[in-house]
Amino acid sequence: MATVAKKRGTTLGRESVREALVGYAFVFLPIASFLIFFMYPLGYAAYISFFDWGALGKIESVGLGNYRELSHDFLFGKALKNTLRYAVIVVPSQMALGLLLAVIVNNALRFRTFFRAAFYFPAIAGSIAITAVATYILSADGLLNALISAITGETYDHSWFGESDTALQSIMALNIWTTSGTMMLFYLASLQSIPTDVYEAAAIDGAGAWRTFWKVTFPLLKPAHFFVAVVSVIGALQVFDQAFFVSGGGGGPNYSTMTIVLYLYNTAIEGARFGYASAIGIVLFAIIATLTLIQRLLFGRAEVA
Amino acid sequence: MSDIPERELPPVPPVVAAEQLAAGGEVAVGAAPGGIPGQDRSERIKRVVVYVLLFFVSLLFFIPFFWSVTTSLKTLPESVGFNLLPSNPSLRAYREALTTYDFKSYFLNSVFLATGVTIFNLFLSSLGGYAFARLRFPGREVLFFLVLGTLMIPNELRLVPVFQMLIDFPVVHTQLLGTYQGYFIINLVTATSLFLMRQYFLTIPRDYEEAAKLDGAGYFKTYWRVMLPLAGPALAAVTILTFQGTWNDFFWPLIIFLGDESKYTLPLGIFQFRTQFYTQWPELMAASVIAIVPIALIYVFFQRYFVAGVTAAGVKG
Repeated sequence: MATVAKKRGTTLGRESVREALVGYAFVFLPIASFLIFFMYPLGYAAYISFFDWGALGKIESVGLGNYRELSHDFLFGKALKNTLRYAVIVVPSQMALGLLLAVIVNNALRFRTFFRAAFYFPAIAGSIAITAVATYILSADGLLNALISAITGETYDHSWFGESDTALQSIMALNIWTTSGTMMLFYLASLQSIPTDVYEAAAIDGAGAWRTFWKVTFPLLKPAHFFVAVVSVIGALQVFDQAFFVSGGGGGPNYSTMTIVLYLYNTAIEGARFGYASAIGIVLFAIIATLTLIQRLLFGRAEVA
Repeated sequence: MSDIPERELPPVPPVVAAEQLAAGGEVAVGAAPGGIPGQDRSERIKRVVVYVLLFFVSLLFFIPFFWSVTTSLKTLPESVGFNLLPSNPSLRAYREALTTYDFKSYFLNSVFLATGVTIFNLFLSSLGGYAFARLRFPGREVLFFLVLGTLMIPNELRLVPVFQMLIDFPVVHTQLLGTYQGYFIINLVTATSLFLMRQYFLTIPRDYEEAAKLDGAGYFKTYWRVMLPLAGPALAAVTILTFQGTWNDFFWPLIIFLGDESKYTLPLGIFQFRTQFYTQWPELMAASVIAIVPIALIYVFFQRYFVAGVTAAGVKG
């Protein structure tokens, strides 16, 4: 159509120039903002990750020095290990719980809107407000210990966030609970796109509900599994707010809540080691970009959403 | 119609699909296995057991909130251990939090920032989304690819460059760290909002614009008078997504406002309070309730847009 219009004469040609100019004007601010605050930072961070770069600017070029230093930095190793441990537990738990909740509310239930709202509710509250509530419930004289004491009959006063053997696990439990509602919504969208005749066929073959789920529903959700897994892994690798809150920013006790992003924050803001912090950011970006690209290439974005 | 390549159109436009889901999903009721009419007594008992179990599970999801609300009405000694309900409920903790500990100004700051960011997002994402959906200009596909590309760049990677930019903004040499402007300028519009608006505009039939064009309306007038009024559900989703995201944001306020209490938002205020007054539980819970309730209210009233926004936004999860 556009080529036809050009041949028709100057009025339409001028009109399409006008349309293009208006188009550029309309996208100008968003594109400028993405270039300045996303694309430029990506390039800048990549660039200064090859330098010893302080608060006052460039100190010296170190080549791959920052990356080499990362590989035997004790605290980064600790942060990496904590974050991976966190992801290994949280991702499958979130997926399983999200799927279970989605299957429940996908049934022909009464009050399904209520159930869906209840399951999704923790996901809407802010991370900081909800972590504050968790620190209270999991404190030495909090609700959880009171319940344990009531059941066992012995006084129990373990400080869940305060002891290094349970601090990270408590954050895991907290986030599994808060984000499983979001995972439920993703699974639900996918569940509802499964055509009914598939279930009818299974019913004719005499498959029960349990068998139908594992043999029909579960495999058909494959794109959703992948999508949810990627979203969940990306979220898990970026865990920050909760760790920052319960440790007051330091990643304690005994660095048990030190995560990659918390370490990045401390390196950049407290330590003013901008080059080194950027190297951490680039490593994280490389992991996230790879995962996102794999997911996009295999399944495309719109199939699940 | 040749200007939009087929491959770009998703099989199901996200917002529309999510909306059907949010509306209660008539389809799925038929799809669900089980529920044969004329069930016998054991079947009915099984149903009751399932519902009781489900209510118990949803109770588990609510207990922490219930607990924070009751504690916010208690006295400090009562807040320790297991006291189901306050013996003498009072709003003392709220009064303390709002007046003695400045949560009133944190609340107002949160309202201000969330409202401002939402307005910027609504305008810029709908304007840009309209252009990407309807106007023809060279390089459109490349630019849209750039928009989607920003979704892959994590906040943490932007920390150092954005921090440095805000300390001394290039070219104009202004310090924006510690200012509201600094927060606004890095949050003018998100790729998610823009993507959501564009997808929605693509689903609107062209007849409306053709009619406007015949009436001699220009591009901006068409966008403002014709397209925007038709995009209600998408605008609602963007509003809720952006407002909630900004309201709950901890990362950027921490970086931009740390140290200047007059600019703290609720999450920052809660963090500060927790570090200073370690076990003042009733006040801490009152502050948390103040932070949760506005979002909870929005959620209750606009649930369908909430669900639509989250499902369509995807990566934001």
